[in-house]
Amino acid sequence: MQRLFSLFSSFPGKMDHSHHMGMNSMDHNSTMPPSHHHPTTSASHSHGGGEHNMMRMTFNFDLKNVELLFSGLVINTPGEMAGAFVAVFLLAMFYEGLKIARESLLRKSQVSIRYNSMPVPGPNGTILMETHKTVGQQMLSFPHLLQTVLHIIQVVISYFLMLIFMTYNGYLCIAVAAGAGTGYFLFSWKKAVVVDITEHCH
Amino acid sequence: MAMHFIFSDKAVLLFDFWSVHSPAGMALSVLVVLLLAVLYEGIKVGKAKLLHRTLESLPVSSSQQVILDTDRDSASLDSPPVNRRPFRWFLCYFGQSLVHVAQVVIGYFVMLTVMSYNTWIFLGVVLGSAVGYYLTYPLLNTM
Repeated sequence: MQRLFSLFSSFPGKMDHSHHMGMNSMDHNSTMPPSHHHPTTSASHSHGGGEHNMMRMTFNFDLKNVELLFSGLVINTPGEMAGAFVAVFLLAMFYEGLKIARESLLRKSQVSIRYNSMPVPGPNGTILMETHKTVGQQMLSFPHLLQTVLHIIQVVISYFLMLIFMTYNGYLCIAVAAGAGTGYFLFSWKKAVVVDITEHCH
Repeated sequence: MAMHFIFSDKAVLLFDFWSVHSPAGMALSVLVVLLLAVLYEGIKVGKAKLLHRTLESLPVSSSQQVILDTDRDSASLDSPPVNRRPFRWFLCYFGQSLVHVAQVVIGYFVMLTVMSYNTWIFLGVVLGSAVGYYLTYPLLNTM
């Protein structure tokens, strides 16, 4: 069952983060006052950035003036869109691979099992030896630090993928979905082999 | 620009043709979004079940046969003919990848509908996730 929970833990975490993101919304009740254009610079994650007021909040297949995450990345030609498609595809594939890699690393580092035996008083006044089994990692061990670094990278990439999907550009969204599917197909195959060897019935 | 949750009967969700401008339309949209969230939860459980069934039908070495023998309900998947097994295995994984793509896309769609900052839609998503989880989570334990 632990294997199943680790499948669930990755994507819902991404979903929970997105609920807290602040985004402009198209309020059709009121007109858009120009004074709401924030004077902030066009940083990559500018929530109240002025450019977002101009962007459509519906799916489209634009090829002109498509901004992608960073201020310098603007797509204007089909060639650039093809390059962006490939890059986003590879990013989504890398994200799936990173998830699987983290799971297998975690399993490998949890092979270390510690048994502690301690005497406890028994029912008749006798002394019984109770054995405690501890499975896990220490906080300052290298595997845990590596897991933390990989977790940060995974969180950042998942936010990037969410922001790419939020451009509402049809080509880029298809790239995200196809990359996720291909990555899952390629890496989950490997995961099944790993799981068989180390997993026991839960 | 409203960067906070609002109660409104007007919204444009996901696509150009999905524009809501009446209470009845909003009620219908909330229902659709609710079903979308239920579907997302169902797909999550479905993928886990598919993975479990795929792993049970893998060609295994004799040392793991002992573990799999305790699962009596997988007896029908235990010994397919050798020449059919790799192809069936490939089909299982391909099907799983398609389910994964569907999960990713529907997850993003639900996220984008919440991004409309409409409170009714958000409540629909929350309720749909609750109902979906409630209905499908017990199916996990029946494996």
